[in-house]
Amino acid sequence: MRAYKPKDDVQKKPYYTDRFWVAPQVPKQPVESDEIFAADLAALQEKFEVLDAYIQVEQMVVYINPEDNFEVLKFFKEELTYDQLSELSAIDWLAQKGEFEIFYQMLSMNKRKRVRIKMFIKEDQAIESVEKLFRSADWSEREMYDMFGVKVNNHPFMKRILMPYDWQGFPLRKTYPLQGDEFAQWYEVDKIYGKEARDIIGPELRDTARIDRYDSERFARLGHEVPKGAPVTDDDPINPQEYQEDEGVFMIKKLKKESSVIVDDPQR
Amino acid sequence: MAQQPNRLRPFFENITYDRDDNELVLNFGPQHPSAHGQLRLMLHLQQEQIVKAHPDIGYLHRGMEKMAENMIYNEFMPTTDRMDYIASSSNNYGFALAVEKLIGLEVPRRAKVIRMMLLEINRLMSHLFWLATTALDIGAMTVFLYAFREREYLMDIMEGYCGARLTHAAIRIGGVPLDIQPEFLDQLKTFLDKLPKNIKDYEDLLDENRIWRMRMEGVGIIPKEMALSWGCTGPMLRASGVAWDIRKEEPYELYDEVEFNVPWSDKCDNFARYRIYMEEMRESAKILYQCIDMYEKCERDGQTELMAHAPKYISAPKLDIMTQNYSLMQHFVLVTQGMRPPVGEVYVATESPKGELGYYINSQGGPYPYRLKLRAPSFWHTGILTDLLPGHYIPDVVSIIGTTNIVFGEVDR
Amino acid sequence: MAQHKVNFTQDGGLPVALTTIDKVVNWGRSNSLWALTYGLACCGIEMMASGASRYDFDRFGTIFRASPRQADVMIVAGTLTKKHAEFIKRLYDQMTEPRWVISMGSCANTGGMFNTYATVQGCDRVIPVDLYLPGCAPRPETLQYGVMLLQKKIRSQKASRAKKPKRLM
Repeated sequence: MRAYKPKDDVQKKPYYTDRFWVAPQVPKQPVESDEIFAADLAALQEKFEVLDAYIQVEQMVVYINPEDNFEVLKFFKEELTYDQLSELSAIDWLAQKGEFEIFYQMLSMNKRKRVRIKMFIKEDQAIESVEKLFRSADWSEREMYDMFGVKVNNHPFMKRILMPYDWQGFPLRKTYPLQGDEFAQWYEVDKIYGKEARDIIGPELRDTARIDRYDSERFARLGHEVPKGAPVTDDDPINPQEYQEDEGVFMIKKLKKESSVIVDDPQR
Repeated sequence: MAQQPNRLRPFFENITYDRDDNELVLNFGPQHPSAHGQLRLMLHLQQEQIVKAHPDIGYLHRGMEKMAENMIYNEFMPTTDRMDYIASSSNNYGFALAVEKLIGLEVPRRAKVIRMMLLEINRLMSHLFWLATTALDIGAMTVFLYAFREREYLMDIMEGYCGARLTHAAIRIGGVPLDIQPEFLDQLKTFLDKLPKNIKDYEDLLDENRIWRMRMEGVGIIPKEMALSWGCTGPMLRASGVAWDIRKEEPYELYDEVEFNVPWSDKCDNFARYRIYMEEMRESAKILYQCIDMYEKCERDGQTELMAHAPKYISAPKLDIMTQNYSLMQHFVLVTQGMRPPVGEVYVATESPKGELGYYINSQGGPYPYRLKLRAPSFWHTGILTDLLPGHYIPDVVSIIGTTNIVFGEVDR
Repeated sequence: MAQHKVNFTQDGGLPVALTTIDKVVNWGRSNSLWALTYGLACCGIEMMASGASRYDFDRFGTIFRASPRQADVMIVAGTLTKKHAEFIKRLYDQMTEPRWVISMGSCANTGGMFNTYATVQGCDRVIPVDLYLPGCAPRPETLQYGVMLLQKKIRSQKASRAKKPKRLM
C-alpha cells in the first residue's frame, strides 16, 4: 500500500523528524522597545485597528484588517514617511487555515526603518490595489495574482505576468507540485505541435539522476558516439576527442601539433 | 477602376489600419540582442515616438521560489547564483545573510573580510559588464572589448578562489568555505592598480563622445517621485537624487568600518546613471584596498576561523568531522536532512550591484523554507519602462534599457 | 613569354587544387558558422565572453548575427522556459538550411537544475539538436571546442541537399 500523501500540500516534506523536536522561535520584541516604531504604531492605532504588532529581526510587523490595506498604506506613506514599497506578496496557508497571508514590506528612508504590514484574507476574497499609491505595486500585484490567484480590485491590468496568459493553475500554491501538473508538463508540446504529438515526443524526463548508456537519442557516451538513434552495443566505436580530422582540413596542411605553441598562462 | 494585372503594389499598401489614430504596434523581443535577455516590449508608436509601452516578462521564469520551498537551505545556495548571474556572489551573500539573521549567527571576522572582497569584486564585474553591453548597444564596440578584457581578469581571480567563472556559490551560510588562495591578494592588487587607468580609458572614449552624450543626456529622465514610487533602488535611485545606499545606511558586514562615498546625482537621466556606475567602480576599488589591509590585519592577529560555530546549524570544520564522532554525526544530519532554523520570518536587504536585493524567508521550523520571496531590483527597473518609455523615440529604448541594467534571471526568477 | 604572364612552372605551380565539391562546400560552411545570438540566461553571458576580447570567436569565422535569416547555427545558451518555447521553434523555422543547433549548458540540454513546472526539460523537445555542451555554465573554451566539433561534423557530412532536412517530427 502506498503511503498517504496529503493533497492540500504537495511540497517536499522532511523524511524524518524527531518525536520530541520543538522548533525554537525567532525572538519577538515588543514594539515599545524601539522609540520610532512605538511612535509609528501609536499614530497608527489612533486611526486603524491593529490586530497584532511586534518587532522581529529589527523590523516592525503589524497585522491589520484586510479591508484597511489601502488606507493603512496611504497613512504609512503620507504621515509616517514610509516612502517605498519594497515588496508585496502572499503566503499560502490554505491547507492550515484556508487563508492567504498578504505582506507589504515598506521602507522609510529618513527613519531608516523597515515595516512589514500583514493581513489575512480568505481564499476567494479580493484585496484593494495599492497601485495608486505605489506604482511598484502594479507589477507585484500581477505577480501575486499569477502565482497565487489572489485577486486585486481596481488594478489597471490584472493579467498574468510571469506565466503565459493561457497558463492554468497558480504555481506557488502548496497544492501545485514543483514539477507541474499535466497541463504544465505538456505545455510546450501541446502549444507548438498539438496534443497528437504527445506520443511522438514522449513525456519529460524528470529524473535528474537518470543515466541510460544505451540511449543514443539524447546523449551518447563521450568518446563512443554513435549516430543518433543507432543502437548502442557493448563494442561501440572509439572516437578519440580531437579538434580536427587526422589529415587536417584540406587547405590547412602545414599546421602540425608538434610545432604549435600551447599557451598556458591565461594572463599573458 | 480598370484592373491593372501586373501592378506591383508597394508593401505598405497591404497593411490595413483598423484604427483611426495611425498607431503602430511594434513588438520588440523576446529575443532581441539589445534587450539584455528575454524582454518583450509591445511599443505603441506614433510615427517614431512611443505613446504606450507594455513590457512583457516571464520568459526566463524558472520557478526559483517554488524550488526554494522544496530544498534545504544549503541546497538553494547554488540556485541563487542563477538569479543575477552577472554578480553571483551578491545573491549568495544576500541569502546567506538572511538565513544567518534568521538563526542569529555571527560570522567570524576573517570570513566577513573575504565576503566583502568577493562582493566588491562582483560589483566591479557587474559594472564592467554593464558598461560593456550598454556601450555595445549604443554602438561603442571598443569599450565593449576593453571592459570585457578587464572583467576577465576579475573572472580569473574569482575562478582561482571558487573554481567557477560565472556561477560562484562562493559564500556559505555561516561564513565562507575556503580561505583565499595565496596569490589572490597580489592578483587583486595588480588589477586594482591598473583599474583607475582603465576607467580613465573608458571615460576618455565615452565622456566627450558626441554620440554617447546625445544618446545619454536628457534621455530617460526618472524624476525622484517616480523612482521612489516604482521601488527603484541602487544606481537607478541614486541617479534620481536620492543618496540611498544600503551599505551606508543599514551597514551589514564591515561596511561601517570602511571609507567610501556614495555617488549620486540629481540629473536623473541616462548620463547620470552612467556617471554613477563609473564612480561606483572607483569606490569599489577603494573598498577593496581597505579590505586587503583588513585581511592582512586578520592574518597578523591570527584570526583563522572561516565558519561560524553553531553545531545545530552548521557543520564543524573538516578536521573535526574526520576526527570526532559527534561532529561527523552532526554533519551527516545537516547534509541529509538540512538545518532547521527557528520559526519566524525575516526580510533582509543587501545592496547588490543592481540595487536592493532582498530575501524574505518564512520558516516554520522545518528544513525547507515555508515561503521564500526574492526581492530582485531588476523586476521594478523593468516595470518602470511602462512609465518611462512613452514620449521617447525608438533609438532611446535601447539606451534606456541599457542604463536600467536589468538582468532577466533576476526579473523573472 | 610576355612579362605579365605568370610562369606557373616556377612560381608555385598552377593555382588549381583538385578536391571534391563536398570538401569545398563543407570547408566554406564549417569555417563561416554565423551564430544566432540566442542568449537566454547565464550561458548567454559566457557566449558573449567567448565573442569578446579574450576568447575572440571571430577567428573561427563565427560572427554573431541577430537575425535568424543570416545565421547558420543557433546556440541555445540558457534555460528554455515553457513561455519561450514557441519562439525558439519560430526562430528555428526562420533559419535557412543548412542549419545546426548547439545546445549550450545543462538547462538547454535537460533542464538542468531547474526541474520545475516552468522549464522545458531540454530544448530537444522543441527543436532538433546537433551538439550538447555540458556545464553550468560551460566555459567559453567549451563553446569553442563545441564549435570545433560542429565544424568536424559538418565536414564529415555530404554537402548535397539530398538528405532530408532535420525535423523533430
